[in-house]
Amino acid sequence: MAYLEGGVAPGKAKLIERHLGACRECEELLARLRSGHEAGRQFGRLASDPGHRPPEFEEVWAATDADLDRHGRPARAGGKLLQTLSTPLAVRALIVLVLTQAVLLVVFLRKIPPRAVAGAVRTEDAPLLRGYSPVRIAEFSSNSEFRVVTEGFVEDVYFDEHEKSLHIKLVEAPLRPEPFVICEVRDLGGLTIPSPGSRVRVYGAARYDAQPGRGWHEVNPVLAMAVLKR
Amino acid sequence: MQAARRGDAQAFRELYQAYRDPVWALVVSLVGDPLQAQDVLQNVFFKAFRGLGGFRFQSGLFTWIYRIAHNECLNHLRNRQVPYVPLEAIVGSGDEIDRARISDLEEARKAALRDAVMQLPFKMREVVVLKYVEDLSYMEMSRILGCPPGTVASRLNRALVELEMRLRPFKELL
Repeated sequence: MAYLEGGVAPGKAKLIERHLGACRECEELLARLRSGHEAGRQFGRLASDPGHRPPEFEEVWAATDADLDRHGRPARAGGKLLQTLSTPLAVRALIVLVLTQAVLLVVFLRKIPPRAVAGAVRTEDAPLLRGYSPVRIAEFSSNSEFRVVTEGFVEDVYFDEHEKSLHIKLVEAPLRPEPFVICEVRDLGGLTIPSPGSRVRVYGAARYDAQPGRGWHEVNPVLAMAVLKR
Repeated sequence: MQAARRGDAQAFRELYQAYRDPVWALVVSLVGDPLQAQDVLQNVFFKAFRGLGGFRFQSGLFTWIYRIAHNECLNHLRNRQVPYVPLEAIVGSGDEIDRARISDLEEARKAALRDAVMQLPFKMREVVVLKYVEDLSYMEMSRILGCPPGTVASRLNRALVELEMRLRPFKELL
């Protein structure tokens, strides 16, 4: 690897090259390593793809805060951390970080689309799973996309005997029964069942259930779900 | 109580903002599915935050958080009963799916690369991610993985040979 990355002294590199000229086995191994190394580098660039974005602090903190209430808060955690961060270099780095964040926030707020308001699908989160179109619950009636991601508040969770699947009724705003969409979960493996009142983001296929007594829009099957607020 | 909560949130914010991006890159690359990676990331920072009081500065904070992330990814992959299933695998082929078919060569290249790395055994995948995504040295990797640098190097060599073998059918794409 050091040879591949040019990290070998010239004298040693010459020795290696001389050996490679005479040893077919090592030459083949090096070619495979070089190819794997190049693939690794390509993967490294791919992993920094902006389509994969970590959740915002507020999203993580909301769940962490609730967990801390259940499991207890850390002793002097804030003090230890602040002590760690109070060295002059860390303070300077923190100032730079805060200023950078402020500039980015201003840029972001200027670019935020008009639909990204309360109750709407947060389009900036949508690329989490590629190829899913953000659709508001109210937009399902005019939606033509098949793979969709939507967000809403859980109004009801029940097992549908007819469909033999779990149904989650999502509404756009709490205490408002309309508009709604039924999210049909066929396979519970890996999915956390949300409680009524929580806000969730659901990925799946958009369909219309035209059976008598139904006549509603649905996400069926639900392929992935994230609880945004418990 | 409210003041304490604000203090906690502030400490957590600092920790999160300082380490979020590199830990996210590690977690999402190891777990594969961004949605599940969000849960793992949440657990990593929750455990890091709770454990900060007991952190003894015997290793760097960076190494310590990476080790938590390493353990959380490993636990998650061990406990995951049902892997994330792509849409096509559930609804099968059809006109609707044709619209979503990957036709772009660039997408196919990315998919081949991701699949090849994700199919590597965990230990191999981890060194590939630490080396090429996190850009860490052998010494840093050895601290995180808890093994000598020589072991890291030989594991990486085996991983690259394995990666080359898995990507051989897609050579024209890469």
